[in-house]
Amino acid sequence: MKAEHRESLANYLTALGDDELILAHRGSEWAGHAPILEEDIAFANLALDELGHASTWYRLAAELLNEDPERHPDALVFARPASEFRNVRMVELPNGDWAFSMLRQYLFDASEQIRLSALASSQYPGLAQAAAKIRTEELYHLRHTSAWVRRLGLGTQQSNRKMQAALDLLYPDALQLFAESASELELAQAGFVPQPDGLLVSWKSYVRQDLTASQLRIPDGEPSAPAGRSEHTPHLERLVADMQQVARLEAGVDW
Amino acid sequence: MRDTQWPRFQVFHQEHPDRPHTNAGAVHAPDAELALQNARDVFVRRPDCVSLWVVPADQILSLTAEEIEHTDLPPAPAGNGDSQRYLVFIKRTQVGSHEHVGAVAAASGPAALGEAVRRFGTADALVWWVVSESLIERTEAAEVGSLFGPAKDKPYRDQAFYHTTTLMRQIRGRPKQEP
Amino acid sequence: MARRPASAGSPLVDASMNEAERLEAFEARIHRGEKIEPGDWMPDEYRRQLIRMISQHAHSEIVGMLPEGAWITRAPNLRRKLVLLAKVQDEAGHGQYLYHAAETLGATREEMIEALLSGRAKYSSIFNYPSLSWADMGVIGWFVDGAAILNQTMLARCSYGPYSRANIRISAEESFHMKQGKEQVILMSQGTPLQRSMVQDAVDRWWWPTIMMFGPHDHDSPNSPVLIRWGIKTKTNDQLRQDFVNQVAPEVLELGLSLPDPSLHYDEASGNWLTGSIDWDEFWRVVKGDGPCNAERIAARRKAHADGEWVREALAAYAERQATA
Repeated sequence: MKAEHRESLANYLTALGDDELILAHRGSEWAGHAPILEEDIAFANLALDELGHASTWYRLAAELLNEDPERHPDALVFARPASEFRNVRMVELPNGDWAFSMLRQYLFDASEQIRLSALASSQYPGLAQAAAKIRTEELYHLRHTSAWVRRLGLGTQQSNRKMQAALDLLYPDALQLFAESASELELAQAGFVPQPDGLLVSWKSYVRQDLTASQLRIPDGEPSAPAGRSEHTPHLERLVADMQQVARLEAGVDW
Repeated sequence: MRDTQWPRFQVFHQEHPDRPHTNAGAVHAPDAELALQNARDVFVRRPDCVSLWVVPADQILSLTAEEIEHTDLPPAPAGNGDSQRYLVFIKRTQVGSHEHVGAVAAASGPAALGEAVRRFGTADALVWWVVSESLIERTEAAEVGSLFGPAKDKPYRDQAFYHTTTLMRQIRGRPKQEP
Repeated sequence: MARRPASAGSPLVDASMNEAERLEAFEARIHRGEKIEPGDWMPDEYRRQLIRMISQHAHSEIVGMLPEGAWITRAPNLRRKLVLLAKVQDEAGHGQYLYHAAETLGATREEMIEALLSGRAKYSSIFNYPSLSWADMGVIGWFVDGAAILNQTMLARCSYGPYSRANIRISAEESFHMKQGKEQVILMSQGTPLQRSMVQDAVDRWWWPTIMMFGPHDHDSPNSPVLIRWGIKTKTNDQLRQDFVNQVAPEVLELGLSLPDPSLHYDEASGNWLTGSIDWDEFWRVVKGDGPCNAERIAARRKAHADGEWVREALAAYAERQATA
């Protein structure tokens, strides 16, 4: 693999890891506060799986950069300033109500299904293997969140209103998941990652089916978040400060 | 509308294809699909599992060995009337759980119980459960990977993942430090 | 079906018996080591005591998610983040198993939750203490889960089938809860000066509340005799408390940490580690609702419940329409 591809691909994987990490972090905030006990358990399960996925992506990035895969993930999570995180804006937003969190999870899970299916044929074998494994867990995530989106969409007028309000906010943000960057296009040319526009088309068509069946209207309009992943809301700064608070008490220490 | 914790579903899990389904506990869920999903999240955080069944708890008919002593069970049916299949679960040991033993055909729940006691009742049966097979929701074979595979990748739920014994031994073995 | 005469062999409880005979037969079953299952005859007091005990146990697991849940976002590395989230998830699961056991006795989850949120129901007062630093996570795991394991191991032998089975399942899962905490305390106690002082501070704050977790002394426990008679408990509060101290105190000291009890010493004659006297005033204050976090814990649970009402209703409405469709 060419040197510039190694670095590009490592950045791509780090961004995937950041999406999983930040979404898992948000998801973990629901533990002890979910609408019913069974969902305390189920939503925590999603977050646990995602923390595992984040680790997997970070370790793959480490291998490409000749960093120690045992140490690199923690370094990424606990030593980078917020400005260096490369997650999409959607996942750093505060949890809002249950409709918001569940719908966000669904939109993300749907994007994972589509992206992971495509990544399974990456020319980088480590990536293809990791994607295939993660996809197995993601199948269940999508089963769970799509069942919930349907029930909340169709349940009561109140639940439908809350879901629509959430969708109006989240859909334009979710489009950032498939925003194109020059380096991603190059990686796609080389066969390491899928073409983002193809993913976007598949994702839009997939979620349209579920959302309209749930009596939810897909908002019109352009993506609301900037294409690059380097711009964040003030929420991320607060999230990262909290997340790194204990680790930063003393660097390089065994906890 | 009254705010509820949703209906209860009894959960049966099968750890290995060669072993019967046994009762693991119950979950609350609004419907069968979420009951199956909740059962997976509540009862399959650790290996092993190859199949889950859920059934509305209030549809299970139950008899204990003690109740049999003072209950008149319906007599065996005369002919082949309208009958359905009822699955039978029996608790056989004091510390055990209700285990799937087979099925009977019967025209009603109480008749199924009677049939179950006649067919499967042995000296050591402690509790009988019957439930109409049509009410059971099951996981499918094709789903085993995504439903039950992830539980195997979570070693941190196993106490062996933490090396406290080794750490304590190392500390004990050290020469005493000055405070 | 022919009735078996009451005099043949060892009868189970028979409908032809009077109340005293039923009670005798019931107690004979328990002494034979038989499990009482839903549907079997049981004295009203047995049912009442179990519902009280099991629901309190369930509430404790649920409220117990809060002091630890607050620190998941701040775990200092990915492994600890994963482990703490898995632990808190398990606690929800354990609450779930326990509510189920109580439901088999006729209590509903709606009623039990209402009792908790209205302040009528009790839960283990250990969870009314605040978790003030990351080191609390290690100490809570080692001390509080360690204490819970002793209790649950005993309850796994309980005479009531569903509660016994719930505790067997819980005990199997709980062992990692204790070990992950102990591992953290060991590492911190041997770590940097900051880590050592943080973990010592946590030990100083959690030791006595954990000792008090086992409940009042035996002579001050009005419920204990009937619970033991009916096989609901097989060990007394003081017995379990002594087991805990013997297990944990010497190891804490071996790590070079101190315990906030100047009277603590090993007694050669009994082979026990003996503690100083417990401050029961504090215990009763916290049990009665005047602990540092009582109000906060219940407020959090009330909010989660209230915020979730529209969700529960929506899914019930959907299911109802599907059923009639």
